[in-house]
Amino acid sequence: MTQQSSPRRFTRRDFLKFGGGALAAAAGAYLVPRAVTATAGALRASQASALSAAVAPSLDQRYHLMVTDGWIHLPRPAVDTTFHPDPWSPDLDTFNTYTFGFRNVGDLTDQKMRDQKGKVQLSSPILYAKEGGELRITLTNLGFATRPDLTDGHTVHFHGFPNAVPAFDGVPELSVGVPYGRSYTYFYRPKDPGTYKYHCHFEDIEHVSFGMTGLVFILPAESNNQAYNDPSTAFDRQFALLLGEVWTQERWEGAHIQEHDWSDYDPDYWTINGRVYPDTLAPNGEGNDPGTGDLIAPAGRDDLQYQPISSLITCNSGDKVLLRFSNLGFQRQAMRVDGLSLRVIGKDAKFLGAQAYDTDTVDISAGETFDVLFEAPLVASQTTYLLYNRKLAYLNNGGELGHGGQMTEIRVSPSGVPAQGEPNT
Amino acid sequence: MRSLVSKSLRATLLTLTLVLVVVAATPITSLRAQTPGEISIVCENETAPGVYDTTVTLTTQDGYISIPDGNTVYMWGYAYEGGAFQHPGPTLCFNEGDVVDITLSNTTPLYGYTPTGPVAEAVSIVFPGQTGVEVDTGAGFVPAQPQFSGLTLTSLVQPAAAGGSATYHFTASQAGTFIYESGTNPQKQVHMGLFGAIIVRPSDGPTFIYNWPFTQFNPANDYMILLSEIDPDLHWAVEQGLDYNITLYHPRYWLINGRSFPDTIAPNDAEWLPTQPYGALLHIEPFNAGNNAQPSAVRFLNVGMRNHPMHPHGDHIQVVGRDGRPLLGPANENLSYAEFGPVIGAGQTKDTLYDWAAVQLTTPVPPDVFEAFSQFLLRPRDQNIMWGEWFSGSPYLGQTTDRPTGVTAQGECGEYYHIWHSHALHEAANYEAGFGGMITLERIDPPGGCP
Repeated sequence: MTQQSSPRRFTRRDFLKFGGGALAAAAGAYLVPRAVTATAGALRASQASALSAAVAPSLDQRYHLMVTDGWIHLPRPAVDTTFHPDPWSPDLDTFNTYTFGFRNVGDLTDQKMRDQKGKVQLSSPILYAKEGGELRITLTNLGFATRPDLTDGHTVHFHGFPNAVPAFDGVPELSVGVPYGRSYTYFYRPKDPGTYKYHCHFEDIEHVSFGMTGLVFILPAESNNQAYNDPSTAFDRQFALLLGEVWTQERWEGAHIQEHDWSDYDPDYWTINGRVYPDTLAPNGEGNDPGTGDLIAPAGRDDLQYQPISSLITCNSGDKVLLRFSNLGFQRQAMRVDGLSLRVIGKDAKFLGAQAYDTDTVDISAGETFDVLFEAPLVASQTTYLLYNRKLAYLNNGGELGHGGQMTEIRVSPSGVPAQGEPNT
Repeated sequence: MRSLVSKSLRATLLTLTLVLVVVAATPITSLRAQTPGEISIVCENETAPGVYDTTVTLTTQDGYISIPDGNTVYMWGYAYEGGAFQHPGPTLCFNEGDVVDITLSNTTPLYGYTPTGPVAEAVSIVFPGQTGVEVDTGAGFVPAQPQFSGLTLTSLVQPAAAGGSATYHFTASQAGTFIYESGTNPQKQVHMGLFGAIIVRPSDGPTFIYNWPFTQFNPANDYMILLSEIDPDLHWAVEQGLDYNITLYHPRYWLINGRSFPDTIAPNDAEWLPTQPYGALLHIEPFNAGNNAQPSAVRFLNVGMRNHPMHPHGDHIQVVGRDGRPLLGPANENLSYAEFGPVIGAGQTKDTLYDWAAVQLTTPVPPDVFEAFSQFLLRPRDQNIMWGEWFSGSPYLGQTTDRPTGVTAQGECGEYYHIWHSHALHEAANYEAGFGGMITLERIDPPGGCP
């Protein structure tokens, strides 16, 4: 977001920003460590997408993520509240909610990456690794554009990864945090396939609820088109569904240099992949613009430029569809589909085997993941099934009547939906 | 009215404190006095290794606990054999088949609000998961039953009247982990602290959680993670003799074993936490097929009113039992399962096994990664490093690196620390302050332990 906001911001904040800019220039020389520059070419070749990298990860999978702040879009309520849309936001109708987050910058030069300060995405890019291979994630902390006074560190916590050593577990009190202007490389040898997630663990309550959350798929050695090393987990299409919550008061407090009282936590927007219904149906973004380095907005939805991950589920009759549910909000949700039978085949990146079960509602608490398969029914014409949170009070956008929140659609066609390249397409 | 009650409570407390000092100086017939600083589960009624007193007396007490933000909170509690107030109630252990008599002596008046003035409340104990419980309140044993006054339910079970006593009798017929808690005005009394844990050792012996081979563990590593919540407004109202509307329940403190992080990692019986005797630090060594083949037992209990989605860093846990029953199918199939997001429901217990099984998965670190790591730590200016107090400075277990000036060192010999916490992250806080609340740590020593 190069466009800046109203003149009332131009006081102490810009003074602080000036100081922050000087710091950034001083720190610039240290931003990219040697381990990353050595492999930058390989990174650029494989990581052009805002969604993810290649769906077929190599055994030597490398990512370069950067963290900063930014502004995203949440529908404006009929009557504005104190906190939403944020009066300091760049635009009350489009980029109106303050956020922290990650960006995949493996395909950007160092200079273009630094130009992306203040432009993050929600949810974070999906990461992939292959069972038996290696995974390196380099994290660069660009600092905050809207809050240059904050010197927060950041980390990557690979949530659920077994036997991570503290040096690569991302809990700053038990490990190291990555300060403003510096980079750090996390290393893993993925073993157990399944759906995992990653999030920042620095001041985790704030940084997680501010949206520093994403998914990691570890693909089984047997096949990239199975959830686990078992043929019964084969799928034709896969969709990531990362649940989250937005407490707009907290976002407002963050932008306005105020503290939070966590015991008053009370979210008012409920998201899938960082969007609320009906935005969940909008197409995917198209990755980093090779010219500017900025994210390319989804077709026709400039306001979702920084929320690039679609949750629209499309498939053909007879397709086996894998839904990878994960919850990094703080509340328990109940994701239901009317009209289809869901088979829960995995929990927390463990194949359930004989304990797999059928249901129409997946109860999912904070920090859990579920791998769910369904077989698309035979339909004569395109047929829609709703996927929504049975906690019906969360199906609204900022208290609006109507339908919003944690909901998306499963659209089954008789045929003609092209084979899937990336998840969520 | 308010000040009168408050004064009477304070006078009681002062007396109790004096008693406490005397009692603490007197050896109790319990093993725990001989093992200060241990961190595994303490069975208060253990008289010799594996031998448990099956006739137990608990008394009602009140007192205060400390919260790491500097607050103190007024509590009620069960105390062991005339001992001082403690929170949570004493952990009691029995062997499968033991015939148990627990006498509750309601000696310390626990004042409840009534419109006409404070009244000392009746107190009771319910034993979820136990069957055939009988109660004697002075007229012989009768089955445990809900109590009514006319059509009004007054208690979930026969209570000990104020100043009176009740004896609860049952056979500990099921191995596993259980809650005991008050059944009288439970929405207030349980919240005020009238709860504790019961562990029943199976007849196969103390190296098993249940009588099934898949529940075997190392009895030196037997841990309890008992979850609870505190709404400080409720406690203040009780302390002041005021009414409280439970529909306004809004917890702001989140505890494990009656402590909030970082107090959770202090040892058992830490002298600076005189009323909160139970630590929650897990302290293990890596799996080794030769000499450390058995996992730890981690017993989760939730005495709060909310579900708590716990998240153990380090590795999955293996859930082998729930609510004091092993996870078995209809033909006794092993239905245990692994998860990294164990949700502990209100009133639920989960028996789990935990191992640090495969350090070699991430070591040795490839040379390029180690080089980048070393460069990261070697920045010339300390403000360019964010170094955690518990971090050894090395990816390798048992190795350390010189830390920057001014960084506190919590480690001893390059051991690993991992966090276990509620992933409803606002519960990992003390009121508004993060990195507190429902958090504990897991400490992994190099093989053989720190020298």
